[in-house]
Amino acid sequence: MFLASHSWRVYLRNQVSLVQTGFRWYSDKCGKPKKPVATPKKKKVYVNPHGDRSYKVGEVRRYSPFHYPEQSKVEWVVARMDDILNWGRKGSLWPLTFGLACCALEMMHYAGPRYDMDRYGMVFRGTPRQTDVIIVAGTVTNKMAPILRKTYDMMPEPRFVVSMGSCAIGGGYYHYTYSTVRGCNRIIPVDIYVPGCPPTAEALLYGMLLLTKKVKRMRICQTWYRH
Amino acid sequence: MSNIAKFLALDKVATFFNIIKQNGGIRGSLFKLYRQDELKDGALVGEDKFGNKYFENPRYFYGRNRWVEYSDKFHMNYDGSQVPAEWYGWLHYKTDLPPHLDPNRPKYKWMNDWNENLSGTTGQYTPYSTTRLKVEAWEPKPKSTV
Repeated sequence: MFLASHSWRVYLRNQVSLVQTGFRWYSDKCGKPKKPVATPKKKKVYVNPHGDRSYKVGEVRRYSPFHYPEQSKVEWVVARMDDILNWGRKGSLWPLTFGLACCALEMMHYAGPRYDMDRYGMVFRGTPRQTDVIIVAGTVTNKMAPILRKTYDMMPEPRFVVSMGSCAIGGGYYHYTYSTVRGCNRIIPVDIYVPGCPPTAEALLYGMLLLTKKVKRMRICQTWYRH
Repeated sequence: MSNIAKFLALDKVATFFNIIKQNGGIRGSLFKLYRQDELKDGALVGEDKFGNKYFENPRYFYGRNRWVEYSDKFHMNYDGSQVPAEWYGWLHYKTDLPPHLDPNRPKYKWMNDWNENLSGTTGQYTPYSTTRLKVEAWEPKPKSTV
């Protein structure tokens, strides 16, 4: 692979540079024995920081959102680890019943046999300590606000929030009253907003499916590897 | 003769084999079960621009007798918003006529082409304000340029 005229020191230097580049250019190095000393220039590859790439009509989509050009071997392995983790997470999103008003009614329908959340592995839990998602269904009053925050704080990481209905999104009908919080995102960070007054059970189900899509894009292992 | 077969539920067995056959044999059926958790037989009604196929079988109960099989190109990334507006009405029993058989569908120049929900992708819509900000952010100047 390397020329015999090179001393071991050059060889060692080369090895170090390989490590520094994060194994990225190892395969390219093997093919070019001419310049083993020079550190190769890193090609800048754009990787979207957040979100999936958008597809055109007729384009074939792969299961995983983590396929990038110039992905190194380690990055590939880490991406597959993320895929497995996300597969497990998205298949068992356990929401917490946080029904505050009439939206809770639609939330019950979403749990019922017609829309049947259970087929997506979603099971309502009564305690925040066993849940992944909190569905804020209804008006958050000032009196309820600290309780909502405490409930959210009790949930284990990673946790998600679905804000259901116009009241939970921005106060809605009660926006100008003296006693309501104008949107639950003033208290807790929201992942999915489901608009409607109240949104149908179908809409909520769709919102939860979008949340599973979002969970599928989580990059726990990849972030760990990157930093 | 057919009564005896019905009594012995042999027609159900025939339906089962028919379903397997229509979904592309054992391998194809297993893949469809994995992908859409359902195995049905039905008449192909039409296909849209995404390549989704629409089926109907009145043997199933109302509400389940019309369904969509998303294009293989979506793989596991299919989504309810990938049903275009033309087919939405048929799929939700608003009309019995699929778009290619309905002569009364309005068609105007200003009608946009259907697009799926792009939330969470790079193509998503990001709201922005066109009005002047009411509050100006304070940008402190550094005391020295060193």
